[in-house]
Amino acid sequence: MSFLQPLISGILTGGVYALAGIGMSLVFGVMNISNFAHGDLMMLGMYLAFFAFTLLHIDPYISLVLIIPISFLFGYMMERIFINKVIHHPHQNQILLTIGLGLIMSNTALLAFTSDPKILTTTYSSSAFTLFGDVSVSVPLLLSFLITCGITLILYLFLSKTSTGMALRATSQNREAAQLMGINVAKMSAIAFGIGTALAATAGALIAPTYYIHPLAGHTFLLKAFTICVLGGLGSVVGAGVGGIIIGVVEAMSSTYLSSDWKDVIVFLIFLAVLLLRPQGLFGKKGGQ
Amino acid sequence: MKNRFVTIVAAALLAFPMLAQAAPVKIGFINSITGKEAQIGENLTNGASMAIEDLKAKGIQVELVKEDDGGDPKNALAAYEKLVTRDGVVGVVGPYTSGCANVVASRADQYQVPLLVPAAAKEEITMKGYKNVFRLNAPANVYSQVLMDAVKAFKPKTIAYVYAATDFGVSTVKTAQENALKMGLREVANEKYQQGQPDYRPSLSKIKAANPDLVFLVSYDADAILLMRQAKEIGLTPKAFLGAGAGYTTAQFAQQTEISSLVVSASQWTDDVNWPGAADFGRRYKAKYAKEPSYHAACAYEAMRIMVETASREKTAPKLRTALKAGSWNGILGPVKFADYAGFTNQNNHPMLVQQIQNGKYETVYPAQFSKKTLVYPFKR
Repeated sequence: MSFLQPLISGILTGGVYALAGIGMSLVFGVMNISNFAHGDLMMLGMYLAFFAFTLLHIDPYISLVLIIPISFLFGYMMERIFINKVIHHPHQNQILLTIGLGLIMSNTALLAFTSDPKILTTTYSSSAFTLFGDVSVSVPLLLSFLITCGITLILYLFLSKTSTGMALRATSQNREAAQLMGINVAKMSAIAFGIGTALAATAGALIAPTYYIHPLAGHTFLLKAFTICVLGGLGSVVGAGVGGIIIGVVEAMSSTYLSSDWKDVIVFLIFLAVLLLRPQGLFGKKGGQ
Repeated sequence: MKNRFVTIVAAALLAFPMLAQAAPVKIGFINSITGKEAQIGENLTNGASMAIEDLKAKGIQVELVKEDDGGDPKNALAAYEKLVTRDGVVGVVGPYTSGCANVVASRADQYQVPLLVPAAAKEEITMKGYKNVFRLNAPANVYSQVLMDAVKAFKPKTIAYVYAATDFGVSTVKTAQENALKMGLREVANEKYQQGQPDYRPSLSKIKAANPDLVFLVSYDADAILLMRQAKEIGLTPKAFLGAGAGYTTAQFAQQTEISSLVVSASQWTDDVNWPGAADFGRRYKAKYAKEPSYHAACAYEAMRIMVETASREKTAPKLRTALKAGSWNGILGPVKFADYAGFTNQNNHPMLVQQIQNGKYETVYPAQFSKKTLVYPFKR
């Protein structure tokens, strides 16, 4: 079997992990909050895509046009109502708050949508094409990957070229100094949380056509997103992107050459090695949190 | 004075039998209402509720104490201990998953309260000689046995295994390997996976490269759909996909005709089998819950019926145990008798069925005496 098969499939799956990780990293960078509701926000994205598809008959990839603004507003409001109350509190308070919000979301979904997993079947859900003779490439995964690249590029341009983006980065680098320079850091926090939520929901919507939709489905990805963030360096958007791809590839490689039973072991061994040798993460700033 | 005494005695005599009649028998029910196994848990809940209603219609009252284990063995054990010590139930039905049932079974003899396991497959549960543990469904070895018997006539040569790293997955595959050995099947791949992952393609590609005649799968719920989707994507086409229960026997799986067509699976129960009341149960279930019942629903129904009927007659835990051991029943799950055989204790020797998805519907195809359709082999897209 070709070496390229697990490589390509790993990169494509890693793309979606990366998107989930980037959202979490951005929130951490700007607000210094570990968002444990991130997986549940992804789950909301999955359900939004599912209902857009079944009720409005919109293709899950096109429905992103609706999902991104809705989830941005949701995240923005969530920050305004809940998160900013604990922004200066110790970490454990913030963690408890976000875990609590996540539990409320997943259990509300459990009540509203029941525990039956929903399956979003599009015409291309199980279609693939062949490259180099024997490497099969999943069409929905490839589409998700391309959209991820597009969104990451837009995010990059937004952060580096626009004044709001620069204000966000300034807040991320030094909250107090940014405030002294006249940046409205409270607003920046709300924007960052909105973007983080939108990215989580997008990741959820992108994975919906190839995964199943369940009120607790986000939890699998929460742990992945967290690992990616720490691996890439908490707060580093680039790090999260690279971290996501690394995890995707390592998972695919270890299930091909060892056993899929071992893939989590390999992922966490690498994770531990990074923590030991480079505690700030691959792209993290030294002395950061 | 004497008169008054007589009145009191008379009143007490009148009141007492009424009281005894009014106090219905207390039965516990442990199930996975929340957590990963909640979807199948709902089938069990519905099946058990239907049994209770049917019994009420027959004039048998019961006080059912429901406990949720969330699919976690430690919660299941806590639930069992609470039921027997605090609630004082005389018998317990459940838990659903193999992991939970196995742990609870190990304590049943300590508390001397009979446990009737409706649908957990791990063999060990009834292999340790526990006097208070009874199992209605067929254990894991029968899943693979019946599936391999069904395809035996076509003389397959090689087999590959893909299964969830759970108690059920591991124990089912272990016995499948023993059965395969007896049939002279050569194992060409063995892939154990962690549940709920988005990407199984690397494992499936390995299976494809080994090109087996049979692919034997054990998965819960939605993982089954994911695996079959990705199998189609990478073009894995063995002569037959053999799905051992759980995820391959849900209505939702059958609806995904593009990927599920012609998949063969083992089931404890189907609604087209000729056991008394099976078809009627299927019809009533669909009318009530607007869903197809899975075999778990039928198992829970029958387990609850047997438990409550027996317990309401016997009243105490030790008598209930004796009656379960001695009794025999015939209902929607066919003839039931808790017997000791081949290393099992209090195990119902339940004949399993093989079904195949044909035109989006589960059709029973084996054994011949229970089925109307025949097996389509080899598998084709």
